[in-house]
Amino acid sequence: MSYPPRLSAIINLFSGLNDAEKRETLIAYDDLASAQEPRGWEQFHLEDTRKDEECTDTAALFLRIDDEGKSHFRVTLGSQVQTLTRAMSTILCMGLDGIPPADILAIPSDFIPKIVGAELVMIRSQTVYYLFTRIKGIVNIWLQRERAATLQDEQPVNH
Amino acid sequence: MSIDSHYAHPEALVTTAWVAEHLKDANLRIIESNEDVLLYETGHLPGAVHIDWQRDLQDQIIRDYIQPEAFASLCVRDGITPETTCIFYGDKSNWWSCYALWVFRLFGHEKVKIMDGGREKWIAEGRPLTREIPKYGPVSYPIPTVRRDSEIRAFYDQALAQSRSGAPLIDVRSPGEFKGLVTHMPEYPQEGILRGGHIPGAHSVPWKQAVNADSTFKSAAELRKIYQEDLGLQPNQEIIAYCRIGERSSHTWFVLNYLLGFSTVRNYDGSWTEWGNRVSAPIEKSI
Repeated sequence: MSYPPRLSAIINLFSGLNDAEKRETLIAYDDLASAQEPRGWEQFHLEDTRKDEECTDTAALFLRIDDEGKSHFRVTLGSQVQTLTRAMSTILCMGLDGIPPADILAIPSDFIPKIVGAELVMIRSQTVYYLFTRIKGIVNIWLQRERAATLQDEQPVNH
Repeated sequence: MSIDSHYAHPEALVTTAWVAEHLKDANLRIIESNEDVLLYETGHLPGAVHIDWQRDLQDQIIRDYIQPEAFASLCVRDGITPETTCIFYGDKSNWWSCYALWVFRLFGHEKVKIMDGGREKWIAEGRPLTREIPKYGPVSYPIPTVRRDSEIRAFYDQALAQSRSGAPLIDVRSPGEFKGLVTHMPEYPQEGILRGGHIPGAHSVPWKQAVNADSTFKSAAELRKIYQEDLGLQPNQEIIAYCRIGERSSHTWFVLNYLLGFSTVRNYDGSWTEWGNRVSAPIEKSI
């Protein structure tokens, strides 16, 4: 399948890099992680904040759907969250920006190894997929709520 | 804050302030070892080298540690001689730095210390980090003649014998892992463990009980209460600690060995990823 244009550009950037260059580039995306945090003026349709019990820190995901039905994500990460997750937060916020929710659910996760490289996928198999899985989760919840609201609107009114 | 002089070996710890004053000492090598595989590259202590527990310390073919030749090569790469004092620090309250220190002790490297509080404390105190990768001049490190597996490492058969005899086995994983409710921590690599639970007879003492909120080790008195008064361990008992892959139990091994002065503590690095999958290995679950 073809990926959304912004995500595709990021995949293409990483595809030409060796593992060492991929790591350097991931660090560059990690540096931009704090720029993905919510702005004070932004309103969101859904928020998903989780704090894992022992080994990781809080990861909060925010979803906004604009008037054209396009998704926009923000992420707030605790200081103990792994660098790889922080880098992926930037990549996903940028790469998935402006994509309709239903289209996000259709994106396969096979682009992730192309970005982070085989070595990191092998040793951090859960981490590299973590945020993308959560993004799909929050999008799915939004879609279900939308469908439920639509069904409710379509119910005949009894007089 | 100073190091508690009541530890059995207070010289095994140094403070962040001490490290800050000795960053350029010629006979020191500061070594970062982390859970987070990219963390060193985001910034590290000036002059610190990086040891990756998986890439540098593990044999890539056999599930085992590197051989003595590879250990000597690693030391040469990082400018370490047998006389170099290695100061280990890292993330996760020094899990992996204790693990790296334990591997250095496997090869008989004597001069090892942990920076109390690890990377978290260094950063919390606003101390400097750099992205500059240091290069150290050529040194030589003789190939160790022996790996001290029999002294500080435990294998499955030893853990089984310990379980059958009722001798102390310390499970340092989280309570949920001990009870068999989960087989790995959330958002963590799933190493493919088939069964949840613990080694029969093991005591649950999560590693975390040994550290303060700022990642420093608890005082000698507090540690004695946890391991000796409450759990009943004796300093001369043969003790085996284990976790999932041997990293958190390295932390407890460091506590029992260096801070409380227990004489015979072994780290079972096969830990639950071996025991939980091993054919015919007995397990216990508890709720």
